[in-house]
Amino acid sequence: MAAENNNDLPVDPFEPFRGMRDAYLEGMSKVMVNAVNSEEYAEATGAMLNGYLTLTAPFRDALDKAMIMALEQLSLPSRQQVTSLSERFTNFEMRLDDMDAKLDRLIELASQSRSPATEDLPAAKVTGDVTASKTIENQPAARATRDLPAAKAAANPSAAKATGSASYDKRAAGAEAKSSRHTGARKA
Amino acid sequence: MTQAAQLPASWSVFDQRLKTFSRLMTTKAAIGQTPKELIWTLNKAKLYRYIPVVPAGGRHRVPLLLIFALMNRPTIMDLRPGHSFVEYLVSRGYDVYLLDWGVPGPEDKNLKFDDYALDYIPRAVRKIKALSGSQEFSLLGWCIGAILTTIYASLRPDDGLRNLLLLTAPLDFANREGLTFARWTDEKYFDVDKLLAAFGNMPGEMIDYGAKALKPVENYLTTYYRLWDNLDDPHAVESWHAMNTWVNDIFPMAGGAYRQLIVDLYRNNLLMKGELKIRGELVNLKQLRANLLTVIAEGDHLTPPCQSETIVSKVGSKDTEVYRVSGGHIGIMAGSGAHKQTWPFIDNWLRIRSQ
Repeated sequence: MAAENNNDLPVDPFEPFRGMRDAYLEGMSKVMVNAVNSEEYAEATGAMLNGYLTLTAPFRDALDKAMIMALEQLSLPSRQQVTSLSERFTNFEMRLDDMDAKLDRLIELASQSRSPATEDLPAAKVTGDVTASKTIENQPAARATRDLPAAKAAANPSAAKATGSASYDKRAAGAEAKSSRHTGARKA
Repeated sequence: MTQAAQLPASWSVFDQRLKTFSRLMTTKAAIGQTPKELIWTLNKAKLYRYIPVVPAGGRHRVPLLLIFALMNRPTIMDLRPGHSFVEYLVSRGYDVYLLDWGVPGPEDKNLKFDDYALDYIPRAVRKIKALSGSQEFSLLGWCIGAILTTIYASLRPDDGLRNLLLLTAPLDFANREGLTFARWTDEKYFDVDKLLAAFGNMPGEMIDYGAKALKPVENYLTTYYRLWDNLDDPHAVESWHAMNTWVNDIFPMAGGAYRQLIVDLYRNNLLMKGELKIRGELVNLKQLRANLLTVIAEGDHLTPPCQSETIVSKVGSKDTEVYRVSGGHIGIMAGSGAHKQTWPFIDNWLRIRSQ
């Protein structure tokens, strides 16, 4: 019976070589692991890399200079200039993030004190209405409620549930409304 | 039926296997599929929050931030639906966040551990605190992510870090004989400054070569033979495809951070000696007081166990635990046995410390 079943299987042309192959690779693996773990290998690869870097350095320099000249002729910024611009952008981002942190802190302090003025602004709180929020933009606690999806969820957890958002407890929803103010949580 | 009569059918099977093999080698699998939202960005870094599936009442109070290495995508934590660490955590009621470092460009060549540990992580943590409403949080660092989280946890012990999980963490470089990378990057042979002067960042191809060359036969030959042998097993095929997609998604590592890894850690072991300075601040591991779990892969050739064992005796934490699991650097978290061994252990450890 077993023999019949074996006969039904398609012929694998590699079958006779499989055992031999595995044994060979196992032995080869040990040899290679020992080889790459040796001082000689480290020295050889180090020398190769060093040689490559030394040999290509003049060409890289020449290419860089030629590229800078060509870009200058075409009135295009060089890589260095773009890089420097990018670094400045990152710096801006950091400063914005710092401001964001400070604003969050202000909002937190304001919400702790719970000033009656902010509680009197239901329109901005519930709908995140831009017109309403314009009138209160100097009041940090009200700002917190301006962000749309999270603020709506905060104001109306059941609606958030119905639209497929995660259900929020009051504290989490409030926190979410605060923090997504600037980032505007985006779907990834 | 004789074997000769079977030949056409055999050829058809062989042809089909070739097509499957070719598809796997030339296409990318869909990885990192667990739904998430982007909540914060800085430069190339992105902070994601995974959409919770457990109602708020059933979730753990303390959010968890995942941080992976600098030179590979963090999608290894969310490899494929049905076999994803992130998906597992979310289903267990954790509020999970992921910090993706992104791909450094030439403008990022000066980024160092200092920037990652003292600019990026604290800012991401602030965002998580604001979003979750919790002043405490847990951190999980894997590979170089574990170095960054350890530095951060030691320098900012009062930020609210409650639990620190380190996976295959390369922290102790004292045993140079046991570290092939240490031999390769010895200053006698390897001029890191010359390399970085030429490329700015450490090229991803070189990092990839370095990782694969530690076990050249396995990485360049055996993996493909094994795939060929298992082409009839759809589960094995899809697993291989996802892993291969992740492995081959390579990108450079910021030059400044790479230099620190080689000079400060591999060559001088400054972190363990208590001499590592980050922005002028000495990294004192005794300041790390969070509950600590370190997961060690017994068969790890990239980060041998000797690199992760000693941390527990150096930190100031009262609650420490070492978990040893058989498997490799990536396999313990993304291999076929991870959902039976490593993930449940992490869940059990973290659950009682996240209330």
